[in-house]
Amino acid sequence: MGTIRMDRRLFLKTAGATAGAVAATQVGCFKYFKKGRSTAADTKEIPTTCELCPNKCSAIAVVEGGFIRKLNPNPENPKSRDMLCARGNAAVMQVYDPDRIKQPMIRVGARGEGKWKPVSWDEAFDYTAKKLAEIKEKYGPEGTLWASTEGFQEKFFMNLGQAFGSPNIVRHPTLCLASVNLAYGTTFGTVPSFDMLNSKYVIMSGANRFESIITPDTMDLIGSVMERKAKLVYLDPRFTVTAAKADEWYPIKPGSDLAFILAMLNVIIAEKRYHKDFVDTYTLGFDQLAEHVKQYTPEWAEKETEIPAKDIIRIAREFADAGTRALYYSGRRSSWYQNDFQMRRAQAILNTIVGNWDQMGGMVPNASLPKGEFLFMPWDDPKASRVDEVKTNFPLAAASDGAYLKLRENVLSGKPYPVKGWMVYKQDPMNALPDQSKTMKMIEQMDFIGVIDLQMSDMAWYADVVLPESAYLERTDPVEVMPGIWPAVVYRQQVVKPIHDTKPNLEIVQGIAKRLGLSDYFDYTIDQWVEAEFKDLPIPMAAEHMKKHGVWAATGEAHYGKTLTPDHRFVTKSGKIEIYSERLQENGYDPLPVYTQIAQPPADRFRLILGRVGYFTHANQSNNVWLHEFMPENDLWINPVPAARLGIKHGDFVNVSSSVGTARIKARVTEEIRPDCVFMLHGFGKKSKMQSLVYNVGASDAVILETAWDKVSGNAAFHETFVKVSNA
Amino acid sequence: MAMKKKRYALVIDSRKCLNCKACVVACKAENKVPVGHFRNRINEERKGEYPTLSINFEPEQCHHCDQPSCVRVCPTGASWQRKDGIVLVNYDECIGCRYCMIACPYDARYFNEEEGVVDKCTFCVQRVDKGEVPACVETCPSKVRVFGDLEDPKSRIRELLATRRYKVKEPQTGNGPQLYYLL
Repeated sequence: MGTIRMDRRLFLKTAGATAGAVAATQVGCFKYFKKGRSTAADTKEIPTTCELCPNKCSAIAVVEGGFIRKLNPNPENPKSRDMLCARGNAAVMQVYDPDRIKQPMIRVGARGEGKWKPVSWDEAFDYTAKKLAEIKEKYGPEGTLWASTEGFQEKFFMNLGQAFGSPNIVRHPTLCLASVNLAYGTTFGTVPSFDMLNSKYVIMSGANRFESIITPDTMDLIGSVMERKAKLVYLDPRFTVTAAKADEWYPIKPGSDLAFILAMLNVIIAEKRYHKDFVDTYTLGFDQLAEHVKQYTPEWAEKETEIPAKDIIRIAREFADAGTRALYYSGRRSSWYQNDFQMRRAQAILNTIVGNWDQMGGMVPNASLPKGEFLFMPWDDPKASRVDEVKTNFPLAAASDGAYLKLRENVLSGKPYPVKGWMVYKQDPMNALPDQSKTMKMIEQMDFIGVIDLQMSDMAWYADVVLPESAYLERTDPVEVMPGIWPAVVYRQQVVKPIHDTKPNLEIVQGIAKRLGLSDYFDYTIDQWVEAEFKDLPIPMAAEHMKKHGVWAATGEAHYGKTLTPDHRFVTKSGKIEIYSERLQENGYDPLPVYTQIAQPPADRFRLILGRVGYFTHANQSNNVWLHEFMPENDLWINPVPAARLGIKHGDFVNVSSSVGTARIKARVTEEIRPDCVFMLHGFGKKSKMQSLVYNVGASDAVILETAWDKVSGNAAFHETFVKVSNA
Repeated sequence: MAMKKKRYALVIDSRKCLNCKACVVACKAENKVPVGHFRNRINEERKGEYPTLSINFEPEQCHHCDQPSCVRVCPTGASWQRKDGIVLVNYDECIGCRYCMIACPYDARYFNEEEGVVDKCTFCVQRVDKGEVPACVETCPSKVRVFGDLEDPKSRIRELLATRRYKVKEPQTGNGPQLYYLL
């Protein structure tokens, strides 16, 4: 494959064609060409906190004459490390996007037909409250579902659902990192951060950290790897940017990462390379582990993973030799397979036995900072139990977050009880959940759907009422503490007034609450809320500081080893780090990670795998004009060998079919993927016509992904789908 | 006291580039670059056969050459060079003939149809003149680019060029490019 760069000859060819246009456009030359020239007088710089993804990077907005001209990185945030990624920079266009929802709207045609009546906020609130009250009357408050995704104002939405009396609050973790959190939480009683800045040896399974940007891990690791301070071993069926930058890349057989980790444990224990003092002092169940992993030899793992046994042995030795500064990085992406929890547990155990806990360059329990709380009137606990029956189905999972896919199954079956109202905040279940046709069925059986969002997502497109939220640059949000190795507190303040008839989520919640007779629970303003939070921050003149700086960090220094005292009690059943978990056993799960083979695709099918690029992560970013121009359309990665067999050429349209759906998409024939896998990016093939750049362009992975979840956490398992690919 | 002579340049550590496009979007915002056009870009080179593969990224923009061929060919003097080496286009004098685009060995310029003028990277003069660094330099997550004054013996770029191996692109043109790529 050749070099991709702008071609000067192309210009020479087109120059002749546009010669006529030159004369016409010369008029422009007489105009004063305003470029970056402005008077300092009307320029303001306002610190705030980015919301394009959940990293919470600190930014300084440059406002000229009432318009946001640019966002600069704020160097004071120790986690965002003085950077702003492409998405963060493109937040300007989130505000000035012509596709934005500009006023509340009520559906007048059929759902999804796109016929809307612009209404006043009063009408929109009245309508929403009337519909919710009707459902409550008929099915009880548990007949409503409140679905939201991560954000500083998410709590207000959840609070409204709870004050309304619904137990069915469902958040994003079971579409995201629930299995990672539960696995590390089960082992250590907390979910640690990974000290990539100081690590000397990092192994990553599929956590594509050089394209899926996480602060500060991405920046710390690229620096360490490129300056030869750390070695990076990367396992992924796809040759990602992380693979390209890694010291070693192994295109591991999908679903066999657990075999690789178990074999590493086997080698390190057999060769007595583990950290004996640490294991003896702080852990429980090492002897059972030693016995358990004897069966998992490197030779056995070679057959499972397709990684040579000699490499597994060498990597295990190198990893153990790096000791407290070796890291098997957890990643934080979604689950892949139904045994995802056990794979993450095995990582946690491997990290444990080399003694990297709470060490420089190892796993470090997060430090936090205190903040004040606004005390509001509490409500009664809901009378009904959750519709997803989390406590029965996933007894160890975080019940308050819900289990999204199980929830959808139960809502569709109407058991244990009917759910007929669906309120959504900032989330696009049409694209975030696998199997879009099921989500569509769930939409069809709802008596009412209300969506609060910035833009007309596919979910909003199928809603009955759309309540437009102000962009993050147009509003002030609650204060957020960011725990970590370098803890910080960040503040998001209004940069410009809303340019359309939109409201911050709190005011939307209050508008609905008022009409439902729930005003007493929301009797405050955002300023009062924020003032209360400022009060307990460990900062002199906290309010003034946060408004002026947007961020506060205790010091730039990391503190290691606070939990490494003999009397420290880990928040686990035994008070130790639990290699062997009785709690898992009591709940019917394997107390030590047991390898189970994942089904492999038959010869005529491929495994569909997912991932991200640096400039898109969430489905809502592909319609941003400054990001969209890097990738106007997604495509299907397919290896040249199977492509030739199927007669598929680069750029051909192909049909990708699973048991639940078919998508039409262009093929990208590339060496950069295993022959048994295909890959596509997320966020295209939108059904909403108000996502004009990506409406009906490319394909949505949600259409073809099948429903599967991790057995312990209930987290959606996204790599369990086999697809057929054929010329379209 | 006479102002000290300056010579601005960029040192680029391409190996750290992740192709995340932060620099491209930051430039777009800072310099109001129209959609569809770019003042900077990231070249990609993908090689090999599965599973022996490589990808290299290389950020590129105007090289702010010592002997800029774009300035030499400009019939109106719209393309010009400041004393500190920054090559600029005076939009009032540009007639949109685009000779400079052909003369540039780096494809660093584009034609702005709306304004009828040629445009390109300015090293963010509006920022540099305030003592700030260009937007692409500042926003980069992995800090691929280092901006500085070659005349300042204590500058980071002088240190890098004194201690690391590097190359410039198309040296045979005699343009004297001032983007230094670390090897």
